Amino acid sequence: MQSASLPPSTPPSGARRASGRRTWMRRLYVPLMLAPVVLTITTLFVGALVVALLQSFGYAPLYGINEFPTFKYYGSLFSQAGFWASVGLTFYYAIVPTIVGTILSIYLALALRRRFRGKGFVQFVYKLPLMIPYLVGVAVTIVLFGNGGIIARSLYAIGLIETTRDFPRLIYSHAGWGVMFVYVWKQVPFTTLIVYSVLMGLGRESEEAAATLGANKWQTFWHVTLPQIMPGIVSATIIVFAFNFGSFEIPFILGGGFPNTLPVEAWRAFEDADYSRRLRAMAIVMVIGLMSGAVLFVYLWTYRRFERLRGRQ
Amino acid sequence: MRPAADATVATGAQRRRRRGLGSDRLGPFGRFYVTIMTGAVLIPFLPLIVGSFAFRWTWPDLLPSTWWWEARGTARLPQGWDYIFSPVSRVVESTGNTLLIAIIVTLLCTLISLPAARVIARERFRGKSFIEFFLLTPLIIPEIAVGLGILVTFIQLGLAGTYLGIVLVHLIPTIPYMVRVLTSVFQGLSSDYEEQARVLGAGPLKTLVHVTVPMILPGIIAGGLFAFLISSNIFLLTFFIGRGQIETLPTLLFSRVSGGGALDAVAAGVALIVCVPGIVLLIITERFIKEEVFAKGFGG
Repeated sequence: MQSASLPPSTPPSGARRASGRRTWMRRLYVPLMLAPVVLTITTLFVGALVVALLQSFGYAPLYGINEFPTFKYYGSLFSQAGFWASVGLTFYYAIVPTIVGTILSIYLALALRRRFRGKGFVQFVYKLPLMIPYLVGVAVTIVLFGNGGIIARSLYAIGLIETTRDFPRLIYSHAGWGVMFVYVWKQVPFTTLIVYSVLMGLGRESEEAAATLGANKWQTFWHVTLPQIMPGIVSATIIVFAFNFGSFEIPFILGGGFPNTLPVEAWRAFEDADYSRRLRAMAIVMVIGLMSGAVLFVYLWTYRRFERLRGRQ
Repeated sequence: MRPAADATVATGAQRRRRRGLGSDRLGPFGRFYVTIMTGAVLIPFLPLIVGSFAFRWTWPDLLPSTWWWEARGTARLPQGWDYIFSPVSRVVESTGNTLLIAIIVTLLCTLISLPAARVIARERFRGKSFIEFFLLTPLIIPEIAVGLGILVTFIQLGLAGTYLGIVLVHLIPTIPYMVRVLTSVFQGLSSDYEEQARVLGAGPLKTLVHVTVPMILPGIIAGGLFAFLISSNIFLLTFFIGRGQIETLPTLLFSRVSGGGALDAVAAGVALIVCVPGIVLLIITERFIKEEVFAKGFGG
């Protein structure tokens, strides 16, 4: 880039060695600039995963355990019904709010493009859950949906229920309404923001063209708008699903006790007084990573393939 | 938009546009939906605010029967906001920790990410798409998978329960976002000015200080605010690595809401305090952070 802007003149004497040094430096330029980020992420992130992987296969000299390589920690996991119940719950809590939240977000993003009264206020307020910790969502959920919560009290006030027992258990239960409410509440702003920014980048020309050519609202949405915002939707759902799948504090607090999601079970195994249980925790954590990775890989692969079939790269 | 056509002879398309899709006004259902969604964000905070001022709020009262200020003088235990601002509650200490950690993380993260963002935005090199993907993996691999592995290592190294340990783990989720924001900053910035400075005889350092940094400063501030926010909201990694010895606002809130059962006045108050950094940043970022930053995704 730089050399291109230099005027083509005859090089002064001794320039050969200087330019030799410059190409050498240019060759190192990219790796050196990338080094801080790559080294940080590799040591912390990849390093942690490698440690967890080794321990899950029985290498933990710190606790006086060295059975590497053994599959027994995975084997004992896979042979328990409770583990598979955990897997089911984890997928359930992760997928349902991702789908519900995405649908709500797409419509919200589309609505935000239009003009309406109080738009400035709405555009400001809807991002609020994005900015605060998930635990605030948990607190809000307890206050609203608990058996002595505001909704139960309102139902009492209008005479629909008599005692707190009459109110369905929305939190601290395996059905996970509370857990999934927190995810949706916190993630709709995130997905909306992504979809909205993609929409803003697109402009409305192609939609107007479709309308001019006689397409109705639904046809325009399915055949023009949706395909264009798909990349944004895909990246948002990937991040949201991955978060939900590995989320710990929300099912830990609002879930229904044993069996709970995989992250909660991993933490319980890790905190067990028996240190050998920590290897089981590492095996669970590896399963979380692999399952989440596999789902996302298949999802992304299917999407890319679909895009190619449609003739867009 | 097209220039306004002769109003008397509107074509079919124009009429259709005025009625349906092309019309810029949001329809009644859309307005209803937007109102519901805004309400769903705001209304849940009401019982939290009321609850933080309650002294006695038992089933089935919709409002507290005794308010905090009515019982302040007579209560044996400090209630609600009295407790929150007393040193026993650790709120002030946790706020300090949260801010301190977030500031250090933001500075470190910016320094680490800047060079990489510049190279990714401007240079073509082999393995670039791999590097880009690699830097996004911390967003896709669940935090807990990383958290336990790091915890084991940090316990061994004596980093568990230290500020350094927490700062280091906070780099994992912040770097991917920071690199992304800064990359888009560099992409939006033509390198012409830097080249001109070089051609006019400025050295690399001079160019950096007088040309590059002033031009990207707004972008750096935006990315920094973002990293600050992420760091101050992290629960899991702080909880794992802090081991209860270093309390931040999210971990403090966790210990308040994880008891099961109803939420007391103190928990409601803490939940509100925890929102403060986010609300402040929301007000600031309305001006700084461009929404297009989020537009680039995995799919495209």
